[in-house]
Amino acid sequence: MTTSTTKTTAPAAEQRGIVPLPAPFARLLVAVGAVATIASTFLAWTWDSEFPGDLTVTGYPAGLQTLALVAGALTLLYALAGYGIRGLGWLNPGGSNNPVLLAAFSAFAVVWYTAIAISYDLGGLANLEPGAVVAAVASLLPVVGALALPHPGRSLRDHIAKPDGIPAAAPLPSWAQRLIISLATALGLVVFTYGIGVNDEESETFIGLLLLVLFGSMALFAAGLFERFTELNARHKGFATTAVFLAAVIFPFTQSEDHNANLGANILIFGTVALGLNIVVGLTGLLDLGYVAFLGVGAYAAALVSGSEFSRFSGVQVPFWAAALIGMGASLVFGVIIGAPTLRLRGDYLAIVTLGFGEIFRITVNNLDGGSGPNLTNGPNGISQIPDLEIFGFNLGAAHDIAGRTIGRFGNYLFLMLLITALIVLVFNRAANSRIGRSWIAIREDETAATAMGINGFRVKLIAFALGASLAGLAGTVFAHVNYSVVPSPFQFAGAAPPNSAFLLAAVVLGGMGTVSGPLLGASLLYLIPEKLSFLKEYELFGFGVALILLMRFRPEGIVANRRSQLEFHETGQLDVPEQGLPDTTVGVTKAEA
Amino acid sequence: MHTLPQQLANGLLLGSMYGLIAIGYTMVYGIVQLINFAHGEIFMTGAFGGLTVYLYVLPDGISMWIALPLMLIGGALVSVLIALGAERFAYRPLRGAPRLAPLITAIGLSLALQQAVFNWYPKAKNDEVFPQIPGGPFHVGSITFGTGDIFLITAAPLCMAALALFVRSSRTGRAMQATAQDPDTAQLMGIDTNRIIMIAFAIGGLFAAVAGIAWGLKYGSIKYEMGFQAGLKAFTAAVLGGIGNIYGAMIGGVVLGLAETMASAYISNVPGMEQLGGSGWANVWAFVLLILVLLFRPQGLVGERVADRA
Amino acid sequence: MTTTIAPSPVLEASGVTMRFGGLTAVRNVDLTVNSGEIVGLIGPNGAGKTTFFNCLTGLYVPTEGKVSYKGTVLPPKPHLVTQAGIARTFQNIRLFANMTVLENVLVGRHTRTKEGLWSALLRGPGFKKAEAKSRERAMELLEFIGLQHKADHLARNLPYGEQRKLEIARALASEPGLLLLDEPTAGMNPQETRATEELVFAIRDMGIAVLVIEHDMRFIFNLCDRVTVLMQGEKLVEGTSDVVQGDERVIAAYLGEPFEGAPGDEEVAEVEAAAAAAEGADASPEAGDAPAAPADEAPAGTPEAETEDAETASPEADAQGKTRTEGDSQ
Repeated sequence: MTTSTTKTTAPAAEQRGIVPLPAPFARLLVAVGAVATIASTFLAWTWDSEFPGDLTVTGYPAGLQTLALVAGALTLLYALAGYGIRGLGWLNPGGSNNPVLLAAFSAFAVVWYTAIAISYDLGGLANLEPGAVVAAVASLLPVVGALALPHPGRSLRDHIAKPDGIPAAAPLPSWAQRLIISLATALGLVVFTYGIGVNDEESETFIGLLLLVLFGSMALFAAGLFERFTELNARHKGFATTAVFLAAVIFPFTQSEDHNANLGANILIFGTVALGLNIVVGLTGLLDLGYVAFLGVGAYAAALVSGSEFSRFSGVQVPFWAAALIGMGASLVFGVIIGAPTLRLRGDYLAIVTLGFGEIFRITVNNLDGGSGPNLTNGPNGISQIPDLEIFGFNLGAAHDIAGRTIGRFGNYLFLMLLITALIVLVFNRAANSRIGRSWIAIREDETAATAMGINGFRVKLIAFALGASLAGLAGTVFAHVNYSVVPSPFQFAGAAPPNSAFLLAAVVLGGMGTVSGPLLGASLLYLIPEKLSFLKEYELFGFGVALILLMRFRPEGIVANRRSQLEFHETGQLDVPEQGLPDTTVGVTKAEA
Repeated sequence: MHTLPQQLANGLLLGSMYGLIAIGYTMVYGIVQLINFAHGEIFMTGAFGGLTVYLYVLPDGISMWIALPLMLIGGALVSVLIALGAERFAYRPLRGAPRLAPLITAIGLSLALQQAVFNWYPKAKNDEVFPQIPGGPFHVGSITFGTGDIFLITAAPLCMAALALFVRSSRTGRAMQATAQDPDTAQLMGIDTNRIIMIAFAIGGLFAAVAGIAWGLKYGSIKYEMGFQAGLKAFTAAVLGGIGNIYGAMIGGVVLGLAETMASAYISNVPGMEQLGGSGWANVWAFVLLILVLLFRPQGLVGERVADRA
Repeated sequence: MTTTIAPSPVLEASGVTMRFGGLTAVRNVDLTVNSGEIVGLIGPNGAGKTTFFNCLTGLYVPTEGKVSYKGTVLPPKPHLVTQAGIARTFQNIRLFANMTVLENVLVGRHTRTKEGLWSALLRGPGFKKAEAKSRERAMELLEFIGLQHKADHLARNLPYGEQRKLEIARALASEPGLLLLDEPTAGMNPQETRATEELVFAIRDMGIAVLVIEHDMRFIFNLCDRVTVLMQGEKLVEGTSDVVQGDERVIAAYLGEPFEGAPGDEEVAEVEAAAAAAEGADASPEAGDAPAAPADEAPAGTPEAETEDAETASPEADAQGKTRTEGDSQ
């Protein structure tokens, strides 16, 4: 296996596009098609106003038409950028034609999906107004044109990949850089709010949004903008984090319905639990399949001391900080109890044992109802009617008027979760970038070498495990209050609704192991998609399963790729560290080594 | 009805089903160090495969004596195909990847299979009634048997004996042993390790199908989620006996089945644990047993046999 | 320049025996390393050298025998052994491939620092001082081995020879009194091998005793004060280079042809010529030699050793070809 030591500094020679059109004409075609697409969104696409978004009005784009408009605008921008127009150069620092193709494809996808959805939902192509046909043709043109533009090669990858070696951005003053970060964050907030705000009935619009976000992101990525943005972020790390935090705080104010704040609060809860799991799985490499049990322990502990009349200790009601500590403490204790015997074992065994413990937890709390066990958790009915938290006199159950908008119950809990999330993110970052964090990663990379460096594997693993457990316990405390009650059924390995261990694992894996934003993103996606695409709810778990298989096959590093994992999972052509090593010595050795 | 001999018999029968499923886990783990999470679902699909043959392929009212072998073939076909498909398309591409990747894939596959049956098999959302072999119940002393039990009592030892013979005496069997001990050298000796791995998966699938049909015959019904718990316990059994060791798998299975049954029946007699008996707690005791074994004898009752790999 | 101290034993292994079921890999081996010494451990593949190392470092618990470091018997746990003061490298490089060069060395410092989770979370002044100190020391070590300019490169991306050096730096980070090197020049060209010799001398001058397993005889006999020969798990002979080189049993079973004709001379001459000339020298003569070298050794009984040869031969050949062009373009 030889590798070349000199890299070609010139970009790979470009080939003629697949479609045989002269390049200038192709570029013009893209631009014209984009304009036409934009125009077509102002027409009526169907006569039936039942179709989500009401696409029957001429002169006023709505729902999926708006999405198509955005996609068309993106395509137009990239087409124009290809003409070398000053002021647009920043859009495509990589200089390749792939973003044009991807943007065009996003418009194509949204429009054609809409057309197909209309026909399918309403029963026939006749339901399409001429406007939709115009849109369909108009959105096809840019794709054809983009395929005629030069690309590095003929394979699929050559058409969608980001070119290597994005030139560094011209230095901008600090305030300008921060402005860019703010704008990008605002854009993210808009997209997220739009997504969450999509009416549950209008799943078609949500799908359209997903298509737009998917291909649009790919376009921006292929242009090199993500890389530039990451550089910006790295330079203004504190500011970037504050910006995201602010966006999250603003979010409840944008919602007129408290229901969406409920979604937000739950997303944050699961996101933080996923973050805790990330410490165990992502950083240290311990596969914990019963992690949701720690969430449950925290939830039950908090419920028991919440003063609910269903609690065994109904006379006890402690302030929030005490409940949080109790929740964390209980989970910590369980974490140590489970970890101590099992962390000495081979990693695969840990997976099974933790899975078993997850099951045991659920069965136990289900049974402790006085009938088949002492009544501690009120069995299958769980502990309900958990009173709302009151923190410094601020009752989270009541709606409050802040800055002219009414923040309901869920909005209050969302703010609380935001604070807790911020805390957990801080904990994660500080732990990861320290001596202990390095020892976790070392253990994950090569435990034998790590112990040879003086790292006490068992102790370090136990710390990771216990920390992960306590963070889940903390989230569990809020979980109990947000949901009014705690019952055994959600705490299983795989179930219809989150939380369950499969969901959490999928969130961490999908989002990207070892990063902060990864699990949060993963949790958001996995929570929102079944919510908004309610017809999929039955197939949700099936989708999870398939998603996990495909992810591991094609993109095991997840969406937010930790630079490390990306190199870990993909061949980079570099000379590899040979895999052979000493035998696993946790259990008896049966062979001699040379 | 619930005398000690009866409980013992129940435990033995339950255990032999666990053992059959455990064989699949242990063979695969012994060679490629992969916990095939989907194996429980392979057990489940084997049962459904047999049922499908009975319900949709064979004419109605056919005698079980003719139907049963065909059901076995059908179930085995389904299980083996799924197992081989999983190996070829889900696991093999990940053979060089860090250990977490195939494990997660296996979990995904398990979920997908389970849900696929749940969503698309007609009427799978409730228990599916499984045909019974007519006859019985039989009595031996204080023990009551059903026909399903008789099937199991003959099938399980037969399978074990066949496997033992195969592994000991046949060329492929010895190649499997070699691959299990040292895959790299085995390859250098000219053994096609890919083929061996596929055979391991296939045998596992076959045995799981037998267990699946036995389960249906014994309990009279099957459901889409039976794979998860049975699979978990079977893997426990494999570890109990010594992972990688096929005799360990069956022994572990039997021990587990006995422990589970006896605990459910008698633990309420232990002072202080009155409420901890019954089937509700059976699974808990199974896992407690696993923890104890891993704590005090991690190589299992009979001793594990795993390839030495980094 | 070595300081003259009364030789005190840094490592004392007596009667070390390692049995795996029916197979005895190491049989009754005594070995002593004194401070300021560089001791070599040679023998054919399968002789039990790495197994012996593993017994010293706690990776294996010896079936019989005792290992003591500076007079104290060592507990059989690798991290405690490192804490006591023995560090090691591995035969097949075991770097943390996806951590940076600097991070790898920082992990090496783990046992000499104590900031735990709470310290990391609270980030008091103590934490920051300790981190800064660790970084400083790590950069010193990187300078020592000449990799300071690659501190932020992923270890995975280093060329083979530099990876070996990094492993040594990582081991040094734990401030050991004894360094165990397991085939440190495997896969290196003669130029790099000589650089490694210098490095080991420098390490000895820092006051660290060294015990090194190697197959490159020129390297061993240049470097070591004493050499121990292990064959089939038993100590065959021990003494200075001359004694060992002259021992008939060793020659017959291991060294084979007379030393002057062994592979190595031609290579050294070629490299020196090529280094003076332009690049583009053919890599094939070296690739041809590399598999020949392991084949010269007495074939071991265990198939494991053969596969190790087969596996290490190709990266060796490739690495030599690769590092050769690297060396040329310098």
